[in-house]
Amino acid sequence: MTLDALATVLVSGLVMGSVYALMASGLSLVWSTLGIFNFAHGALMTLGAYLAWTLAGSGVLGLPPWIAMLVAVALVAAVGVLLERLLIRPFYGHRAMLLVTVMTTLAATVFLSKGIQLVWGPRLKELPALAPGNVSILGTSISAQEALIVGVAPIVLGALWAFLRFSSTGRGIRAVGQNPQAAQLIGIDVPRLFAIAFALAAALAALTGILIGSVRLVTPSLGDEPLIKALIIVIFGGLGSMAGTIWAAYLIGLAEALLVFTIGIYWAPSTLFLLLILVLVLRPQGLMGKVVR
Amino acid sequence: MTDALEVDGLSGGYDDYDVVSNIGLTVGASERVGLFGPNGHGKTTILNAISATLARRRGTVRFFGQPVDRARPQAIVAAGLIHVPQANTVFPDMEIQETLELAAWTPRARAARAENLDRVLALFPRLAERRRQLARTLSGGERQMLSIGVGLMCAPRMLMLDEPTLGLSPKLKDELAQAIATISAGGIPILVVEQDVAFVLSLVDRMYFVNHGAITREIGRRDAVDHDEIMAMYFGAGATA
Ligand SMILES: Nc1ncnc2c1ncn2[C@@H]1O[C@H](COP(=O)(O)OP(=O)(O)OP(=O)(O)O)[C@@H](O)[C@H]1O
Ligand SMILES: [Mg+2]
Repeated sequence: MTLDALATVLVSGLVMGSVYALMASGLSLVWSTLGIFNFAHGALMTLGAYLAWTLAGSGVLGLPPWIAMLVAVALVAAVGVLLERLLIRPFYGHRAMLLVTVMTTLAATVFLSKGIQLVWGPRLKELPALAPGNVSILGTSISAQEALIVGVAPIVLGALWAFLRFSSTGRGIRAVGQNPQAAQLIGIDVPRLFAIAFALAAALAALTGILIGSVRLVTPSLGDEPLIKALIIVIFGGLGSMAGTIWAAYLIGLAEALLVFTIGIYWAPSTLFLLLILVLVLRPQGLMGKVVR
Repeated sequence: MTDALEVDGLSGGYDDYDVVSNIGLTVGASERVGLFGPNGHGKTTILNAISATLARRRGTVRFFGQPVDRARPQAIVAAGLIHVPQANTVFPDMEIQETLELAAWTPRARAARAENLDRVLALFPRLAERRRQLARTLSGGERQMLSIGVGLMCAPRMLMLDEPTLGLSPKLKDELAQAIATISAGGIPILVVEQDVAFVLSLVDRMYFVNHGAITREIGRRDAVDHDEIMAMYFGAGATA
């Protein structure tokens, strides 16, 4: 492998890894706080992209792309609050909460996708680029938009980490994830923090959806494949470990880029799956996972 | 002076059956009261019903005269009635100091955070030495100290402790008993659940015997209860040790 080729693999792996880290972090947050998998995560990504399109120049409202993005993220966070209230809160403390919420969040996915198709139709939409043009990294030319994703991901993830580590709401979110009964006994309004965590995850989904939509096109199925990827990454990284999720995202992004380069796009996905399964056979708890709660 | 806690006709349980029924008890404004009784007879359930962490419950609970039986758990904590649960690991992946700071969650507790943190670290120097250690790596005794410390960080006007010395060595038991006595001497009324009768007698002014989900007896410190009588309470009349 030449140095040039290595740089290409590295850069494209970084782009993929950044997208994966952003989309999986929200899913991971919901898992480690509420103890459920949110199957609506992908649909929330799609919704974010369409809302941003409507709000931005190419849509009807004509807001500047950055503003459109922020407003769309906030709107999807509000949808997250609503989903938590309607589809998850009724089942807190339910014996089969994990399974019941698989069903309710899948139902949300169906509603959201159908709703999106009704509102925006089947035609592809193009989001205005947040950063136009191309840049060259390590001798590899990529779109400025992709470079932006590589730069934004660590900032957003760093902010998420600092929020969870240092702010009192963030600490509260970790506390309810680790022991909701004990959290209740120090006066934490547990359902309220569940809702905040869920809304934050929805906002992260929207942000990822918008970033993906701005390098590809916006379609009603934009979030479908990323949802599956994000699930795999969260499991591979180790359930309950945000750091594990983020490591896994970048690792998988790089591995994928390397596989695509060496064995081609056709065999790369199945080979990647085999590799991940192999690792999980050797390390069932994932990269940094804890023993199942 | 109003009592710290007045409980009357309190019943409650899980699913569709009652585990405890018609509980009545009081804790005076600076009193130490014990609850003891055999395993599985409802002591923890009584505390859960008082702290509203038990969903199915009815009866009246007054805290310094204010009714709290319809309040949500966080409102009860905000009022200062703090329940330190049994064998609790608190937050396994948080550091000691972080846990203690977090525990000052309600506005009243937050206002007294720095001062309460000093108090807790002075009371349990072992926690002070391990500020940065994760809770799940603590020993059983340290974990109990952390649990009680968390309770103190909530700015309690009264503490309910559920088996604070469960599974500890006699030496650690004494250490914790000392700490509890210090807390109580600071004017905080205490309701403590214990299995070990001799131990609870050394700790409290008065105690209630819980049997099959009901309070069947009240024993004052001055009532002479001998060993045989306690055994009879546990195992039914006629049994001796
Ligand atoms: N979450 C629950 N769901 C159903 N039943 C429960 C639950 N918690 C406790 N119980 C039952 O309620 C009864 C009383 O339990 P409780 O924990 O109050 O007893 P305890 O006196 O505190 O016992 P110990 O001394 O062992 O702590 C027991 O029969 C127990 O099995
Ligand atoms: Mg108990």
